[in-house]
Amino acid sequence: MKNYIIRRVLMLIPILLGISIAIFLIMQLIPGDVVSGILGIEETPELRAMWEKKLGIDKPLVTQYFNWISGVVRGDFGESFRTGAKVFPEILWRFSISAELAILACIVAWIIAFPLGILSALKRNSFIDRIVRVAALLGVSVPGFAFATLLILFLALVFGYYPPIKYVSLMQNPLKNLEIMILPAIVLGSSMAGSVMRMTRSSMLEVLRQDFIKAVRAKGAPERITIMRHAFRNASIPIVTLVGMQIGILMGGTVVIEQIFSIPGLGQYLLTGIFQRDFPIVQGTVLFMATIYVIINLLVDILYTYIDPRITYS
Amino acid sequence: MKRILSLVLALLMALSLTATAQEPMVLKYGTDAEPIGFDPHTVPALASTRIMLQMYETLVDVDENMNVVPLLAETWEQPDDLTYIFHLRKGVKFHSGREMKAEDVKYSFERILNPDLGALGNSASYAGYIEKVEVLDEYSVKFTLKQINAPFLSALASSYLSIVDKEAVEAAGGNLLQSSGGTGPFVLGEWVPDNSVTVHRFEDYWQEGVKFERIEFYVITDPSARMSALRTGEVDLIVGDSAMLSLAEKAKNVEIYKVRSRNYTTLCLNLNKEELKDVRVRQAISLALNRQEIIDLAFNGEAEISGFAPASMGHWAVDVLEHPLYQQDVEKAKELMKEAGYENGFTLTCTVGLLDSIRNSGTVIQQQLAAIGINVDVQNKENAQYVDDWKTHNFDLMVCQNGAGTDPNRAVAFFFSTTGSANIAEYSNPRVDELCELAAGTTNVDQRREYYHEAINIILDECPNVTFASPYDYIYASTDLKGYAPTASNMVNFRFAYIEK
Repeated sequence: MKNYIIRRVLMLIPILLGISIAIFLIMQLIPGDVVSGILGIEETPELRAMWEKKLGIDKPLVTQYFNWISGVVRGDFGESFRTGAKVFPEILWRFSISAELAILACIVAWIIAFPLGILSALKRNSFIDRIVRVAALLGVSVPGFAFATLLILFLALVFGYYPPIKYVSLMQNPLKNLEIMILPAIVLGSSMAGSVMRMTRSSMLEVLRQDFIKAVRAKGAPERITIMRHAFRNASIPIVTLVGMQIGILMGGTVVIEQIFSIPGLGQYLLTGIFQRDFPIVQGTVLFMATIYVIINLLVDILYTYIDPRITYS
Repeated sequence: MKRILSLVLALLMALSLTATAQEPMVLKYGTDAEPIGFDPHTVPALASTRIMLQMYETLVDVDENMNVVPLLAETWEQPDDLTYIFHLRKGVKFHSGREMKAEDVKYSFERILNPDLGALGNSASYAGYIEKVEVLDEYSVKFTLKQINAPFLSALASSYLSIVDKEAVEAAGGNLLQSSGGTGPFVLGEWVPDNSVTVHRFEDYWQEGVKFERIEFYVITDPSARMSALRTGEVDLIVGDSAMLSLAEKAKNVEIYKVRSRNYTTLCLNLNKEELKDVRVRQAISLALNRQEIIDLAFNGEAEISGFAPASMGHWAVDVLEHPLYQQDVEKAKELMKEAGYENGFTLTCTVGLLDSIRNSGTVIQQQLAAIGINVDVQNKENAQYVDDWKTHNFDLMVCQNGAGTDPNRAVAFFFSTTGSANIAEYSNPRVDELCELAAGTTNVDQRREYYHEAINIILDECPNVTFASPYDYIYASTDLKGYAPTASNMVNFRFAYIEK
C-alpha cells in the first residue's frame, strides 16, 4: 500500500511536466498576448518593445519556459504580469474558498441524493420513485447558471433579498461567510445531487438483487442494517468514483457560478488569467488544479480499500 | 419619577440621534469587471480607471464642453509656442500627508518618460513631445516641448499623466499597482481580488465637501445579478447597459442616468483590399447602410446616429445627419458599384468581437450590404484575437468601437493621419495629414476648428471607415443617491454626491 501511494505520487512529476509544457505551448499558440491587453489602443511599437523586455517575453521560448520551471521547483510560481502580485499565495487563498464551496456543495448534494436515491431504489416504480427520478433529471439537465440567475432574481424580486456582496472568510465571520456561500452551494449541490441520486439508485438496485442480500435478510437482520451496512456499502464503489470526480471538478472552481455570486474562487482566477494572457497565472493555476485532481483520485482509490476490503493495491 | 423617566428618554433619544448622525456615509458601486492594479501611469483598463480617478489628479481637467480648466495647476502661461509654465495650487497634499510641489510634477513626468516603465503616456498622443521639465520654484514648473503641439494642454488632463508621490512610488518598490500615492479625494483601502475594492476619504483633501466616508466597488460580472443587487439596495449604483433598461424602468427605486458618450461604433474598411481601394465602393457601402435600423436592432435603439467626431465633442463635432452619404440610397449605391465595375458584387469578411453591440451590428450590416451585392462573411473573434487582428490590420471589414477622446487631435489624427497609430484602415490623404499638422501647430482654437472640420469633411467623403452610431452610456442608481451628475468626461465623480434616505 505504502509503495503504491509513493508510486502514484511520483507519477505526478511526469504528468505535471507534460501538462506544463502543453499549457505553455497552447498559450503561445493562441493569438493575442498580454502586451496587447495592457496597452490596448495606446500601443506603439516602442511601448510594445518596452513591455516585452519588462515582462521577459522578448526572450526565446525555451529560456522563458526554463526560467519559469526553475522557479516552480524552488516553490516560486512567479508574479502576475498584470498586477505584479505573487501567484502562489493567491492560488492558495482562492483554493481555500473553492474548497469550502466544494465541501458545502457536496454536503448539500449528499443530504439530497443518498436518502432519496436509496428510497427510490427500495420503492422501485412507485410514485415516490417517479418523483425522485424526474427531480434527478431536472438536477442534471438544468444548467447551473440558469438556476443561479433565476434563484437570484426570485429572491430579489419576491423577498427583496440579495446575499451579502462583500466577501468575508470563514475565519473572519463564519455566519456571514455561510450566508455568502449557501446559495452557490445549493446551486452546485443540486446539480451534483441529480447524478449522484441516479447512480445511487441504479447501483442499489443492482446490489439489492444479489443473493447475499437475501442471505442477510434470511438470517433475520433488521431492514435498516440490511440496507445501510450491507446493500449501500456494496453499492457505494461507483458512487464514490463519481463523487470523487465531481469534487475534482468543483475544486477547480465553477467559474460561472463564482462569477454570478461574486465569489473569488480559483476558477475565476484561471479564467481572468486566460483572457488577459497572463501566463504565470494560467500556468500556476493549471498545475495546482492538476495536482489536486490527481490527489483526489488517489484518495478515492485508497477509499476503495476501506469500503471493499477485497480491493488491494500492490 | 416622571421627570427622571422623561430625562432618561430624552437622553436616549439624543444618543440615538448622534448614533445615526455618526454612521459613516458609504457608496456601494456594483461594477462589471475586476480591476488590474492602480498605477495610473501603466494601467489603462476602465475597471481600474474608475477607481484610480478617485485617487489621482492631473495638472488640468477638461470640462463637459471640452474646455481645459485648472485642477492641480491653478494657472498657466505660454511664453512661446514650445513653453508652458504651470503655477501649482498651494496646500495640496498627497495621501502620505506631504505637500505636492513642483519637484513632484517633474518626478511624475520623468517617470512617465522613463522607457523602463513602459508608461501609456509615453507616446506622441500624450507626453511624447516633452523635451524637458524644469522646476522654477516650489510651485512653478516649466515644460519645454520638442515641437509645437496644440493638443498638449488637453492631453495633460489624461489620467495617464497623473501626478504621483515620488516617496509613495519608491516605498511601493517602483510601481503603484497595489498602493495609492495621489492627491485625490480617496485613498486605496482593502482589495479583495475578484470581489471588492474599498477606498477611504482622504481627510486632508484640498477641496471641501466630500461626503462619502468610503466608496466600495464590487465586482458583479453578471448583469442580472448586478441589477438585482441594486433593486434590493445592496448596492447604490451599477454599471449598466441599454439591455437592462426595461428592468430598471419597472423598478421604483432606480434612477436612470443616460449619458452621451464620446465613443462611436464604426465599420472600418481595409484600404489594402483591392475592392475597397475604390472610393466609389466605400461610398456605396455608406449609402447602403440604414443607420437607424442598426441602432434599433443592435443597440436596442439606445444610440444616436453619429460620425467619428460625435456630438459630445461640442464645437469640434461635425453634424453628419444631413451628410449625403448618411442617407440610405440603395439605388445610388448600386450605381456606384456598377461604375466601379463590381456590378455582380464580391465577398468580404467582417470581423466582430468584444461587445454584443459590435457583434449584432455585424449581423445587421451583413443583411444591409447584401442588397448591393456585397456578400459579407461575419467572423466572431475571441477578445484577444480580435485585438490582435485590429493591431495587425488583419481584416477586410471590422466593426470597432472607438473613443474620440478629449481633443480632436485624437478623433482625427490618431485614427486617420497616415502615421496615426490607430489608422487601421491604412488611409492616407496628404491634405488630411497637412491639416492635422497645421491644427497641431496652432493654439488658436478657431483656427484649429477650421482645420479639423475641413479634415473631417474630407474623411467623411472618402469613407475609410463608415461610422454609424454613438451609443449612450447607462448608469443605474438608487433614487437615494443625490448630487451625482455623470458626464461624458467623467462618469465617476462622486465629490458632491451623497445618500439621502
